[in-house]
Amino acid sequence: MNLEDYRTLFAATTLALVLIATLPTVGMIVSIPSGKEQFSELWLLGPTHMAEDYPFNVRVGEQYRLFVSVGNHMGYSAYYLVYAKFRNQTDPLPDTLDATPSPLPALYEFQAFIMDGETWEAPLTFTFLNVSRLGNSSVVSEMSINDVVFSVNCSSNSGYYQLFFELWLYDTSLQEFQYHSRFVGIWLNVTD
Amino acid sequence: MNRRVVARYLFFLVLFIFIAPCFVTTVTISSNGDLAESTIKNGEHVMVLAYQAVLEAERAGANVSNLFTELNVASEYLAQAQILYRVGDLDNATRFADLCSRTAEKVKSEADLVTNMARVESGTRLGFVMIGSAITACSISVAGLLSWRVFKRRYYQRVLMMKPEVVSDES
Repeated sequence: MNLEDYRTLFAATTLALVLIATLPTVGMIVSIPSGKEQFSELWLLGPTHMAEDYPFNVRVGEQYRLFVSVGNHMGYSAYYLVYAKFRNQTDPLPDTLDATPSPLPALYEFQAFIMDGETWEAPLTFTFLNVSRLGNSSVVSEMSINDVVFSVNCSSNSGYYQLFFELWLYDTSLQEFQYHSRFVGIWLNVTD
Repeated sequence: MNRRVVARYLFFLVLFIFIAPCFVTTVTISSNGDLAESTIKNGEHVMVLAYQAVLEAERAGANVSNLFTELNVASEYLAQAQILYRVGDLDNATRFADLCSRTAEKVKSEADLVTNMARVESGTRLGFVMIGSAITACSISVAGLLSWRVFKRRYYQRVLMMKPEVVSDES
């Protein structure tokens, strides 16, 4: 190596060290996007806080317990809304292709602010209060969710109903809640 | 003639007495409904403002976990107000929406305060880091320059101390 080569090596090393020294300042001014996938989770747990023992054969007047949970991986603290809806086998579910919610009216709702990387959970108890039967078909007139009584008037030829939950996310640019293309539910066979 | 007028007057008076409560009830229910709806709308609005303020505080680098805890309390009130409004319990819906507004307003003002503090703090921190970086960069440059000079001097000394090699000329 001649002197010119040594000079270049010295200059390059000094420049590299200067750049390293300025990194903390650059890091405070420029925010680098993480590039990780942004998503939310919605799930239900059974009465024992596990993904088991979900109520299926439910009796009128008895109370059943579930846990609704939401996980935030959106990269920011998000404002969520969870709607609880009730349907028979023919009532429409949310459309997964069009990402549109079910047109059924919401009975109960939860609202939660969840920081990035954190989860939220709420207990939910439900009871069928007024169910009339005629042969195999049945009509659920009244049910309570977390001790609030709702008029339902939902009939089913088979006796099967679904309690399902839709996840909505507050969009800060649109300034309104948008359906977040996630729903989860349990089937219920209402017996006497 | 007079008796007929008086009888007619009495008839309408009795009729009015019986019908009036219906109008009063309808108007009361309607005004309760309007009040509940407007209180919920206000609750939603204040909640969104509080959420935006907390997001701003988070972006400014403040610790906002307590603010989110309080905001979740407000959101529970708002959800309860919406549910009660849906089932027709207008008085309690109004009460919960009002609680939500008050809690969210408190959160918003706390978030604004925390944002200002965090901005001042991060400005100071940025200043210190910038000064530190500048001093370090200058030190590295000066050290690089000095060490280059020392190296160059030693390089020349080594070159000058070299003796020419005697090569036998065999040609």
